[in-house]
Amino acid sequence: MKDNSQGLKIFQEITRIANSTLDIDEILEKIIEVIQSKLHIDACAIYIADDNHKQFKLKAAIGLPKDTAQFIQLELGKGVTGWVAEHHKTLALSDAHNDPRFVYFPEIEEEKFNAMLSVPIMVDKQCIGVINIHNEDQREYSDLSIFMMETIASQVSGCIRNAMLFNKSQMLLKEQTILYDISLAVQTSTQLEHGLWIILSGVTMGEAGGFNRAMVFIINESTNTLRGFMGLGPDSSEDAFRIWTRWGRKKKNMLQWVVQQAEKEEYKNSTFNQFVQGLNFPIRPNENILVETVLQKTSFNVTDADNHPLVSEDFKQALQANAFATVPLIAHKEVLGAILVDNRYNNNPISDEQLRLLTRFATHAGWVIENSRLFTKLLDTNRELLSTREQLVQSEKLAALGEISAEVTHEIKNPLVSIGGFARRLENSINDLFKKYENEKELEKIAGYSKIIRSEVSRMEKLLTNILNYSKAGTLQRAPCNINELIEEAVFLFKSGFYMKDIAIHFELEKNIPPLSLDKTQVKQVLINLFFNAMESMPSGGSLTIKAYPETYVGGQKIITLSIEDTGGGIPQDIYENIFNPFFTTKSTGTGLGLSISRKIIEMHGGTIRVENSIGQGVQVYLHLPLQNCPD
Amino acid sequence: MHKILVVDDEENIRFLYKEELEDDGYKVTVAATAEEAMKKILEDKPDVITLDIKMPGMDGIEFMRKLKEERKDIPVILCSAYGRFKQDFRVWASDAYVVKSADLSELKLTIKEVLGEVEPK
Repeated sequence: MKDNSQGLKIFQEITRIANSTLDIDEILEKIIEVIQSKLHIDACAIYIADDNHKQFKLKAAIGLPKDTAQFIQLELGKGVTGWVAEHHKTLALSDAHNDPRFVYFPEIEEEKFNAMLSVPIMVDKQCIGVINIHNEDQREYSDLSIFMMETIASQVSGCIRNAMLFNKSQMLLKEQTILYDISLAVQTSTQLEHGLWIILSGVTMGEAGGFNRAMVFIINESTNTLRGFMGLGPDSSEDAFRIWTRWGRKKKNMLQWVVQQAEKEEYKNSTFNQFVQGLNFPIRPNENILVETVLQKTSFNVTDADNHPLVSEDFKQALQANAFATVPLIAHKEVLGAILVDNRYNNNPISDEQLRLLTRFATHAGWVIENSRLFTKLLDTNRELLSTREQLVQSEKLAALGEISAEVTHEIKNPLVSIGGFARRLENSINDLFKKYENEKELEKIAGYSKIIRSEVSRMEKLLTNILNYSKAGTLQRAPCNINELIEEAVFLFKSGFYMKDIAIHFELEKNIPPLSLDKTQVKQVLINLFFNAMESMPSGGSLTIKAYPETYVGGQKIITLSIEDTGGGIPQDIYENIFNPFFTTKSTGTGLGLSISRKIIEMHGGTIRVENSIGQGVQVYLHLPLQNCPD
Repeated sequence: MHKILVVDDEENIRFLYKEELEDDGYKVTVAATAEEAMKKILEDKPDVITLDIKMPGMDGIEFMRKLKEERKDIPVILCSAYGRFKQDFRVWASDAYVVKSADLSELKLTIKEVLGEVEPK
């Protein structure tokens, strides 16, 4: 009876301890105190397994020499404790020294203990620890004692399980906080370098990624290589030690401190960063593990570089780390580069947990790169649009001049041909008459007058020809050009416009169209004019069909036809008749030269422009361009 | 005697061409529009046609395209006030291209060339 009430007291005590805190070390200390005071034992020790359940470390002890005992590590299967851990069975020995399983540990001065009770701590059929009690006298442990110890062990198991779950959730929370901080910091920056620097800081910081070194590689599409972009990490072990002690002092929310305070430029001068920036690998199979990361879009955790099939001797030499991991950088399902991390200085193995965290960092890095890429593209497009607009205005002015002079020239030329032609005839007739009537001096004078008319007319004709040649000269800078690419370039400028107005674009571009000899800038301007008109005609959505195909004209000439078809309802008849007339416009902001310039440009290329207007449906513009150069 | 059809919307030009070419010994008929020219082709069966490009109604190039689809055999000399049509691919279907000038010697030489009376330059 006495034992029973004693037992209940112990359980009550232990339950109270178990519920008092989540700090596992504190719980174990207190439990051991209860065991010692209530169970009349000489020593008690609790061993907890490492992550692999192979090594058992002394976590709490009483009655053992403190300074030496804390270094004790027991192996699974070795000694009495190891046997218990391996077999998941309680072992009560009255004379432990004489048991064949006994292994002597001088550190805990075991020689003075004869009796020993060893109980496994089980979590989910896995032994995560062992509680040992020792007595100096040779004692047989009673069933009640054994039962009591097993019950305590299961209580401890519950505590450890709770603590583990708590730690895990704490870790996840920390991870979330860090990722949140990083994404906030990254959002404020459109600069690629700064964004990646923040992420790599996270990857290498103790409280987050915790890797010794991290490097980013980005794909260079034009050279098809994987280029080192940034490396963050100490240059040497001494450097590592210096940095870690310095950072260690700023325990609380280090990431924020890093993002706000740290010297952002400092890394640039590090040997390591310069080493990384000097790396450049061609993207092809069997190049190296980094390239494979990009090609296969998978991560690698290399635990032993010496014996990894994808790690070459050169690569290992360059890295000087035997264990490292790589993850691809992906945004929009497109691979943009890779991150490589290692623990060169403390040689910690990289756990799956860490790799998972790294993958999350990599996701952010992917977005950073993508954002900065889009941002750069936006800037480029904007710049191009501005310069195109500038060119448009410029060429509209020129075209206005050209249109006027062409009209005027044509109107003058025809009468001039008549005047000059008849002046010649007049001169010839008078000369004939003069031959008949040599004495008529008046006739000679009249012949002189008509001669003046003839020569003045030919002077004017030359002048007109010069004007026309001048306005034509140097206006075309032809180069071989892929028409489909040109179309896509021009459409790209309208992408957001089309999207905002809900206009769907359909391409029917025939492949293998031979290159055309065109002035790219000018033909692009024509396309821009036409796309702009089409877009304006469909303010509340529609579809734009763009086709390109080869055709044969009368006489066997090969031409390329582009057709641009909108669903904007067509042009009213009175307007349609004027669309090619210069200075005719229905837009308050237009000069009315868009289509007349377009026609001029196309005609200068030896091509033609044709508009089919279906009222109520839409407009289809055809551009016909000759495939071969003109015979002249 | 070779027959030439002169197609031009300007009356004075038609008159000038007719006078000049008749002096050189050709039989010349004239037409002011594409439609009229079509009629004259059927009636007079010309050996050469000189054709202005810019005309009201159907222009010279369009007329030539129609003509060439039916009558490839009649040579066509396109005449224009300026040379910018020279690069137009549709013009390449013509047999020759002449920029109008008060001095008709180029036109006359071209007529001789398309008639095979002289070797082309």
